[in-house]
This record gives sequence, structure tokens and C-alpha cells, in this order.
Amino acid sequence: MRGSPAIDRVIASLKRLPGIGDKSASRLAFFLLGAPDSLVADLADALSRLKQETVMCADCFNLGDRTPCPICSDDRRDDSLLCVVEEPADLSAIEKSGSFKGRYHVLGGTLSPIDGMGPGELRIGELERRVRSGGIREVILATNPNAEGDATAHYIGDRLRPAGVLVSRIAYGMPLGGDLEYADHVTVGRSLENRRKFSD
Amino acid sequence: MAAIGNRTRDRVRAPLDDVPALVLRTVEFGEADLIVHLLTPTRGRVTAMAKHARKSVRRFPGSLDLFNHLEVKIHPRRRGGMPLLDRARLLSPFLALRDDAARYGLACYVMELLSRLAPEEGVGPEMRGIFHFALEVLEALEHSRPDERMRVLVELRALDALGMRPELRNCVRCGREVEGPSVHFHVADGGVICRRCSRDEELPLRAHLGTLRALEQGLRFPLAELSRLALSGQSLAEAHAIVARFQRYHVGLELRSERFLNQILRSSGGAGPTPAA
Repeated sequence: MRGSPAIDRVIASLKRLPGIGDKSASRLAFFLLGAPDSLVADLADALSRLKQETVMCADCFNLGDRTPCPICSDDRRDDSLLCVVEEPADLSAIEKSGSFKGRYHVLGGTLSPIDGMGPGELRIGELERRVRSGGIREVILATNPNAEGDATAHYIGDRLRPAGVLVSRIAYGMPLGGDLEYADHVTVGRSLENRRKFSD
Repeated sequence: MAAIGNRTRDRVRAPLDDVPALVLRTVEFGEADLIVHLLTPTRGRVTAMAKHARKSVRRFPGSLDLFNHLEVKIHPRRRGGMPLLDRARLLSPFLALRDDAARYGLACYVMELLSRLAPEEGVGPEMRGIFHFALEVLEALEHSRPDERMRVLVELRALDALGMRPELRNCVRCGREVEGPSVHFHVADGGVICRRCSRDEELPLRAHLGTLRALEQGLRFPLAELSRLALSGQSLAEAHAIVARFQRYHVGLELRSERFLNQILRSSGGAGPTPAA
């Protein structure tokens, strides 16, 4: 018993969030207790609007305030390129790069059988339908280069094979600002395998 | 008794220096940390915190990924918190497991089974056996695509490594070797029963003696050579029924990865085995 049911309730609610344990929940609750009223009110307002005002785009499954989302309704983008990402945050990361002007498809996760995530839990069927509906020349699989992301990319690649579109995978290799000395041997090996011509 | 307790506690608290480990699972924690579930040959399942693992490209470069075979250094915490993963050197990433849904599915299934059943912070020679079984499965899957037969045999080997091997030769009631051609397998009693010990009201699984001999062989074969072991469609169905029902009864776990594995093996290799009568 901490003495205040209100504090206990906030701590109990915060503890239900991923990555928040007892100590973090207590720290956040006591921070909020000592914070200006405006900050707490803003947070409460933002949280209450979060679910009400966020919608999923019916085309790409990105999250935003309308459907179709601004990317799907932008007719300057290339309809023939489709980039497949795990989550909306990955879409944002690619958008920030400014290097891609095609369309997106958000899977909603990766194949992770240990977490109960199979093909039925991802938007793979919707992806197949989009590809089959025509107009797509290339599907770029931009899932993360880890075990789950690679396995998902291979699975989707197999599923899309009958559709006859070009399926590509984002490149593996050294990160910008990386250091060969500290890189693992798989990354170094893949960097060499995926090397490109430096000059003509 | 107290002395033994202290020794065990000291051992558990001791750091792990450059020991081999397999990554069973990782869970994101906070902004940049990872909780890593590892299987080691000296201490069984170990859970450690890898600080800043998701942001630093130097500290754990490409190493904390599912199935990875590592050499790790783990430090205990003074006040009994989760141990810290200090260093992880990648020995093998088993990349072929990512290229094929059946390999990936069976590897995930084995990792989940071990992450639920391998003793945590355990001691004893059986830890080494569990670790070597896991390593051998991943190595075998790197080189061959699994089918239902391999899945059944890997499940049986997993039970064996975890100390839950069904009795396949001698009657679990009287100890006599059972005779064929048809034999009874009693799931609750954990093995075969001879005709003399079999009671009318019981409904044991029926299997051919040849199926049991094939399963025994499967326990002895190197995992990489399991594909050489022949099992007819009838034998596979009987073996599947014995192993699956034994596991369900004695392990009592419903593994989340089983659904995916069933789906993938059935779609890639035709219908799975039908339950034996």
C-alpha cells in the first residue's frame, strides 16, 4: 500500500506498458505528480484523443488521421513500386530518407511463431491482393535484417512468386559511420557480397 | 544441506566468462535495451540484460538475434537484479534458417520448447546435453529442409535431452521386452506395455514394433543424418501420435509456434500424418 489509491492506479496502468517495470512506473507516476498541471492535462488529452483520432489507411495500413493516407492519395508517387515494411515507424524512417517515391504496404509485424505471429496475423493476404490487382512492377521487401525480418521477407517472396513481379530486398551491409573493426563477420561478408561498382 | 545450498548460490552468482550460448529469444526493453534469453552448456537457461543493445552498433554488432551461436560474457548484479550481458561474440548465425519457412518454423519450435522447459540457472551435466541437442538441431536444419518425419524425430530428441524420454522397448509395468508385431503404448504410464500387463478397460495407442524400433534408432542417429532414417506413412502416423500425445500429457505445454509449424509443414509436404488408431 503506497498510501494513495490514485498513485497506485497510475503505477498499475503504467506497468502494463511494454518495457515499464515497477521502478519506472513509480518514477513516472511521481514525476507526473510533481509536474505542472498543464503538462499532465496535455498528456491526458493526447492519450484520450490517440485512439479516437487515429485511423488506419485502408490501402497501405499506415496510421494517420485519414484514409486514404496522404501518401496513398498523392498522385505524384510511383504506383509501380511497392515497399513492404513491418510497422508504421519503419515507413516513417524510409520517408525521412527522401529516397523512395513509391507506395507502401505495412505488414503489422513479422513472422514470429514464438510470439504467436503467423501469416494470418500479418497483412500478407492483402499484399497479395494488391499485387494481383495489377500495376505493380516491383515489390521491395524492407523488413528488418534480423531473423524474423529475413524469414518474413523470404516467406513473402515465395508467396509472390506466382504473381510474376520483381521482388527485391533492401541491401545488407555496413552502416554509414560504421567501423569494420567492430562489425560482425556476417555483416562484413554481406557488405562484400553486395558491393557495387564505385565508378564507371 | 546448507553448504550445498551456498555452493549452488555461489555458482549461480559467479560470472560467465566466454561461454558458448544460443539465443533463444530477445525482448525489447525500455528505449534501447534488450532482454536476452540464452541457452548455455554450463548453466542452462540464462536471462541477461544487454544495455543499449538496440542503439549501439559497436557493443553487440549483429550478435543478439534469434538462433545465433555466441560466445558471451555475463556479469551478475550486486543486488540480485538481472545479470548484465557484457560481451557477445558471434560464432554462427545459422542464416539458412531464415531462407525457408519450414526450417525457420522447426527452429522456432525447438527454441520455444527449450525456452519453456530447459532449467533456468541449472547445474549438472544435463545442461551440456540440452545445449548440444539445440546446437545439433540448428546445424542439421542449416543443411536439410525438415519434413514431418524430421519434426517427429526432433521432438523425440528434445524430450530425451530434457530427461523426458518415453520407454520404447521394455514394458513400463513389468520390465519385460515387448514383442510384436503390434504393441501397446500407454501415454500416461510413459511407455510401452506388454500384452500381459495390458488391461481390457485401457485404451492405449497401438503401434507396430517396427515403428518403435525406428524411433529408438532416431534417438541414436546423429541429427544431421536423420533424413536417412526411413519411416513408412503408417509408421510416421504412429510415431507422430506417440510423440505428440506423450508430449501433450507429460510436458503439458501448448507451444505458440506449433500452429505455424503445422501450417508450413502441411502446405509444403502434403497432408500431415493422420493420427494412428
